[in-house]
Amino acid sequence: MNDALLIVLCAQALTSAVPLLLAGAGEMVAERAGVINVGIEGLMLIGACAGFAAAALSGSPWMGITAAIGAAMALNLIFSALTVWARAEQIVAGMALNLLALGATGTAWSVLQRHGHDALPSGAGFARGWSWLGADATRWLNDLPLIGPLLFGQYALLPLVGVLFIALASLDRRTRAGVVLRALGEAPDAVASAGLNVRRWRLGALLFAGACAGLAGAYLSLMRTHGFQPEMTGGKGFLVLALVIFGRWRLRGLSAACLGFGAVEALQQHLQGRGLTAAIPWQLFALAPYACALAALVFLSRGRAGPAALGKPW
Amino acid sequence: MRDLGIAIGSVMIALFAVLMVLACAGYSPGAVLTTWSAGAFGSTARIAASLQEAAPLLWCGLAAAIAFRAGALNIGVEGQFALGAVFAAGFATSWQVPGPAWLATTMALAAGAAAGALWAALALALERGRGVPLVLSTILLNLIAFGFASMLVERVFHDAATTAPQTAVIARDLRLPVWLVGVRLHIGAVAMETGVVAMHIGVVAAGLATVGLWLVQTRTALGFGWTVAGLNPLAGRIAGLPIERRRMQAMVLSGTLGGIAGACQVLGVTHVLSAGSSTSGSGYGFAGIAVALLGRLHPLGVLAAALFFGALDTGARQLERRLEIPHDLGEVVKGLVVAGVLVGVGIAAVLAARRGRADGKSDDA
Repeated sequence: MNDALLIVLCAQALTSAVPLLLAGAGEMVAERAGVINVGIEGLMLIGACAGFAAAALSGSPWMGITAAIGAAMALNLIFSALTVWARAEQIVAGMALNLLALGATGTAWSVLQRHGHDALPSGAGFARGWSWLGADATRWLNDLPLIGPLLFGQYALLPLVGVLFIALASLDRRTRAGVVLRALGEAPDAVASAGLNVRRWRLGALLFAGACAGLAGAYLSLMRTHGFQPEMTGGKGFLVLALVIFGRWRLRGLSAACLGFGAVEALQQHLQGRGLTAAIPWQLFALAPYACALAALVFLSRGRAGPAALGKPW
Repeated sequence: MRDLGIAIGSVMIALFAVLMVLACAGYSPGAVLTTWSAGAFGSTARIAASLQEAAPLLWCGLAAAIAFRAGALNIGVEGQFALGAVFAAGFATSWQVPGPAWLATTMALAAGAAAGALWAALALALERGRGVPLVLSTILLNLIAFGFASMLVERVFHDAATTAPQTAVIARDLRLPVWLVGVRLHIGAVAMETGVVAMHIGVVAAGLATVGLWLVQTRTALGFGWTVAGLNPLAGRIAGLPIERRRMQAMVLSGTLGGIAGACQVLGVTHVLSAGSSTSGSGYGFAGIAVALLGRLHPLGVLAAALFFGALDTGARQLERRLEIPHDLGEVVKGLVVAGVLVGVGIAAVLAARRGRADGKSDDA
């Protein structure tokens, strides 16, 4: 394998990892706060759909981003009402979220198609590259060896993900919010006796998770594909659940896991593109990330307990 | 009684919410309701269609309910369904079983059931052997099952006669027997549409399975063990019940029912599987969770919920044909119903706690 191909593959891995990193950061924060949300798939899907719809109708990609974040946060508000206030079984509430998102996006897609909004008008999606830095700077950056194609050929959401992870990392141990977040998942009673409102904090964590997942969905429909398909998230949200576990509910582990699975996806696309599908069924490539995730859970998950109060209604 | 109230209340709220949204979009609720009910119950043929649509929902609902009841969160019915369908289709099209046709059909059904059971058992084995949470393994196994099923269709059970990636069409005598009813029903003065009504026998089998499960659950020690495993495993263990075994039984039975659901659907309704349609789920497995929740995990409740959702789906198709309302709206109703049930259970718990406190105070006084 030559160097040029390796760089292309690494860049592709990074491109594939972005939605996992985003949704994963949100899910990790929610799980740290003691709430497991298996509806992350639905949140991403509704983000992708709302982002596409708003961008297609308004012609502005920024409207799309806003709508994606808003829709996913609204859906997670329902989830919060169920799990945080009604103290419902979190797994079941998450599946309800998936059903709702599947139905709502399917309905919206039919309506959009009927009115002829089944494709993004030009300019309503985001192009690759960090064009907001200016044309000259972009050209210069793109020509940099190695990091040019690796970083500056990515969609502009990548630096935002970087900022998000740095912010979360500095929040983690050094600030009160980081400590409270950790305590919410380990000992919510202690948080309550410290005079803090457990429900309000969990609501905050879930709204953050919703925003992250919505943005991840918008990345899929407005950046990577410039279009929407029903069920286009295709299980990525479910994969995120496994990634949070591999990452041991820590940022560093989570980023490593997401990059690893970005690489799996990049490799899968590369091999599939090389026409190996005659010998190897394409379905094997499609199920590879999930099989890898399951295998990793089987071989690595021993002794990896999550937050003590994870999944328990409070 | 409380469960019934919660179920009916959440259905009402969900329907009301969707009707309000449709009203805002300019559809009169009256027209929507009449078109929907005409599509779901308007003739014997429509009723049969609703029943046939309810059958996979019932199988999957029972599958989810029995696992949830025993405390095994089986999110994997969707994948168990996919594998059940593919193995049943594969057996029925690729294997020449000597003997009568009904034997081959039974073998195909058994193959589907076994595939579902094994897939559920795999999740159990991963949980017991390696500590992989059941929720996560079943979710991932769903996605793996879709790819696996599609691969089987394309590579193993592929019909040599076509280049399209699909199985052969299941031979007529190997399909589930279909009841042909050519009757004219009179309800009062209204004569309903005549014609041939077809409904495969799996629909009745699903109903019988419901009654069977209900009897086991309410009349036997086995069923009691399942319930205790879900409600209070610690108490069960102290009382000497084999809680862990009960939970595993329920999980495997759940997978079996999921497999049967898929097998019945392909042997009775679709008769053929394509690689493309297998790559994503049928949706019945996930809908089964909604059915189980609405039925409050009780077999008879699940039956009622499946009948309602089946009618909902066939009515929604009619809404799409007549009023151009996307049928996916039916899924929204399912999601809202589950949300409503969860809220209802939460409210009921709060009320019960409050009542309990009030009683406690009166005892003190």
